Amino acid sequence: MKRLVIGIVAVAAMTLSLAACSSATNSSSGGKPTLLLWVDTPRVPQAEMYQKLMAGKETIKIEVIAQADAQTKIALHNRTKSGWPDVIFGAAADTAQFLDPSNGYAADLTNLVSKKVFDGFGQGNSDCKFDGKYYCLKNDLANTVLWYNTKIFKDLNLTVPTTMQEFADTAMKLKGTGYSAGAIGDQNYYASFLQSSECPLAAVPTKNTVRIAPNDPKCTRVAQLVQPLLDAGVVDKRSSFDAGFIADVAKKDKVAMTLGPSWFGDFVIKPADSWGVPAGEIADAPMPAWGTGSDNKSGAYGGGVFTVSAHSKFPQAAADAAVWLTTSDAMATATTTPTFPAYGPANKLWEKRISADPYYASNPYPAMAAGANNISQVDRPVRFAFVAQIGTVLQADINGGKSLKTALDDYATSLQKLAPSSGYKVLTK
Amino acid sequence: MIAPYLVLLIAFGIVPVIVAAITSLEPSVINPGGGPLNYLQALQDFRFLPALGNVGVFLLLYVPSMLIVVALMSLLLDTVQGRWNVPLRLAYIVPASLTGATAVLVWYFLLEPTLSPYKDVLHALGITQGGQIWRAPNLAWIFALMAFFTGAGNWIVVQYGSLQSISDDILEAARIDGANAWQIGWRIKLPLIQKYIVYMGILVFAAGLQVFVEPQLISSSVYPGLASNWSLNQLSYSFAFQSNNLGGAAALSLMLLIVCLIGAVFVIFKTDFFEGAGVKEK
Amino acid sequence: MTTSAMDPATISGRTVARGHAPKKRSVGGTVGRTGVWIVLLVYALVSIIPMIWLLIAPSKTAEQLNNQSPFSFGTFANYGEAWNHLLTFQNGVIVQWLVNSVLYTVAIVAIACITAVLAGYALAATAIPLKRSLLIITLVAMIIPPVALVLPLFIEISNVQLFDTPAAVILTSSFYPFGVFLAYIYFSTSIPKDIYEAARMDGAGEFATLWRIALPLSKGLFGMLAFFSFSASWVNYFLPYVLLGSAENFTLPVGLGVLFSSTPALNPGNGAQQSVIGRPEIALAGLLLAVPILIVFLLSSRLLVRGVLAGSVKS
Repeated sequence: MKRLVIGIVAVAAMTLSLAACSSATNSSSGGKPTLLLWVDTPRVPQAEMYQKLMAGKETIKIEVIAQADAQTKIALHNRTKSGWPDVIFGAAADTAQFLDPSNGYAADLTNLVSKKVFDGFGQGNSDCKFDGKYYCLKNDLANTVLWYNTKIFKDLNLTVPTTMQEFADTAMKLKGTGYSAGAIGDQNYYASFLQSSECPLAAVPTKNTVRIAPNDPKCTRVAQLVQPLLDAGVVDKRSSFDAGFIADVAKKDKVAMTLGPSWFGDFVIKPADSWGVPAGEIADAPMPAWGTGSDNKSGAYGGGVFTVSAHSKFPQAAADAAVWLTTSDAMATATTTPTFPAYGPANKLWEKRISADPYYASNPYPAMAAGANNISQVDRPVRFAFVAQIGTVLQADINGGKSLKTALDDYATSLQKLAPSSGYKVLTK
Repeated sequence: MIAPYLVLLIAFGIVPVIVAAITSLEPSVINPGGGPLNYLQALQDFRFLPALGNVGVFLLLYVPSMLIVVALMSLLLDTVQGRWNVPLRLAYIVPASLTGATAVLVWYFLLEPTLSPYKDVLHALGITQGGQIWRAPNLAWIFALMAFFTGAGNWIVVQYGSLQSISDDILEAARIDGANAWQIGWRIKLPLIQKYIVYMGILVFAAGLQVFVEPQLISSSVYPGLASNWSLNQLSYSFAFQSNNLGGAAALSLMLLIVCLIGAVFVIFKTDFFEGAGVKEK
Repeated sequence: MTTSAMDPATISGRTVARGHAPKKRSVGGTVGRTGVWIVLLVYALVSIIPMIWLLIAPSKTAEQLNNQSPFSFGTFANYGEAWNHLLTFQNGVIVQWLVNSVLYTVAIVAIACITAVLAGYALAATAIPLKRSLLIITLVAMIIPPVALVLPLFIEISNVQLFDTPAAVILTSSFYPFGVFLAYIYFSTSIPKDIYEAARMDGAGEFATLWRIALPLSKGLFGMLAFFSFSASWVNYFLPYVLLGSAENFTLPVGLGVLFSSTPALNPGNGAQQSVIGRPEIALAGLLLAVPILIVFLLSSRLLVRGVLAGSVKS
């Protein structure tokens, strides 16, 4: 018995000493605010700029996470009730989850951030508005545009399409030429086609009700338009990131045009280890319209937000950090700034930089700007894994050669089953 | 003397199971009242049956291939004595060091037809596109392949070891009776190490049932979401950290644990593997 | 999948390795022999190709990896380049991961081995109550894969406020039923009972007997225990992934997972402009994880072979 006691004491002492030495490192110093920022890789440069700017005034800790892990990691900390980041970068759908009472991570920013800032965003921050309150600040807009290769267009004597029907007609002209009108086998099919067509897959008519209606005419017209292109081989069933598509088509400079988000140019088309399209060939044009009048929306592929922790010990400092990260001039003019800033004034500065980039055959900014405030508002950020399900079902079906209608039906069905587990009532019509 | 171990056994072997059992009755968004309904809801989740199917196919591929290849390779290895034996054994154990994220990275390259060292083989099989490989129906094969190479080497060496312990007299007697190498391998050696193979089978099955790392990591790479919620453990993880449903997650975890527990009890009491280990009552 | 739950190998050393006496070959065996050799060699080749690929991958740039033949070598300078790139990730946190991995693993191996030897000895050589029940529970715990307990362990660890501490990983991973069983088998078979009895007759206590009699005879046992606990904890991914929250506490496998999912190496959407972590860098990080375990495997393969599954368990 004595030995047992000694043993238990030994282990307990060990546990305590280990716990003590780890908690000692966590203690914050004095009254100086300490903020922990969780960002994904592309947001590291701007976070580091803020870290430098605040040197001496605030201690800023930066941790890199995968964007897809944001919800999971917050849930872990919700369970342990400690260690939350003060500010986190993620998708607006993450914020939808975070502000739910069952989660409770997201702070209401409506009063922590000045009205002037919200005004500066214009339409740009609409994803962060839930029930009339702001729970996040939009970092960048990833609205879709039409990317095209001016050299190929000239060689084949093509004109830039302005409607989706023209897009399809132009794509059909590529048949047999070896040129491609892009790859749809990933989230791009949702963003550039389904979402721009305003197909309701995550419409939220009232709080806690979601409308997922793949048989809506705005959904069925998409497959009707694109399926023939896929069958004719002018649109690729692979992903734009697929090594085979890159080797067979993109690297050979055979992509005549593709719909894609505003970051496609800098991230996918330009880099040498991606498509590596030579300088001076690529330009963009406004998103082709599905119909007439207001039936001319663009989709969005990405576009992140900063959410502030309701558990932060320094709520104002945390909110100020989120404001700086999304609105500052420094961020907009830095050479490594990723994408189209959502905040109007910052966006103007960013325009200067991208407009002067000699890589593009013409100034890519006007087309991006045209779509930025015209993103479809039908699908809203929802609490269930809407985007992950694209990879699991929609993309898998398309890559696997199923028809676009089947792919959409399968995807919608999986969403209809998933939504109730996050407390939504589902409408299928 | 046994106390330190006893503390660990209770703290990290028994208490977690009790905690999980209590947690599995917690309320959640879809089960505000809590209680045993969590178990039913976990089983009724639309992702449960596909995940069960995935893991089932994975096990069907993984366990038999482990058993057959490990038995065969260790028998073959046993016929080769002398200085070539050691380098061969070392070679077999090399892939065991490629686990988790490293394994996923390496296999991404090995299986990507445009980048692979096996490019020619893949092309000969008519596979020229990554999309032909990285598709939902192939995932069980891919994960089985990864798991196989991570695990097989160690087991070959261990089973080779058990072959080494067969007494020379038995083998000599068989040779005198005119048995050839195949017959000795098949009729004498294999039956003698049979129970180790069975034991290995149970361990491999129990580990395979819990597959998690490979599908989880491949889902965060080139093919985002490709294998999310592919395995039962991933589903339990999703319950816990995406649906705020720790109760359902604990319920699913416990059910998986019970399957493993049954396997364990089976090995201990229904095979003679631990005979003589002081477990059975004399 | 895990190497931890390997086997009750006999480590008594009683099984004398068979000599290399030439075996008689059966008639017409030449064709068979050739076939056997082909199978053995092909399997060996298939086994080492991935490692060779991984070894040379960091010698090339990302572009060369895509464009050049898989087994062409780049330059040695690229290893240094790739390492420098890795250091840019969160101010060189990878060094911290390496240090953590080493520290945690050393602590786990030490605690696991010591508790296992003590418990194994107690079960084998002393009279303790509930011995049989303890043995059965240990066997059950040994067969159940560690992954099965990850979620329950997380719930428990978060309840006692140990989440995101090194202690969470070290303590949970130090629970080592397989080691206890190995030690138990060892002490109950390879050291004759008379020796313990004799020591007790001389008035030695249990600790003294263990210390003076049993331990000096147990070098092989320690080697075996250390090998298995090292190979399980060095590569462990799921448990530390769930029990640790902040990057400065991560182990190398978890860190590699972060690199994998948060850099543009395999997911171009992660911002090729903002990060220099590409495929060669990930390969190098993978190599840092794989090489230590490979070295330990190679060094201890002798141990593994001498220790055979057989003998003592059959009694």
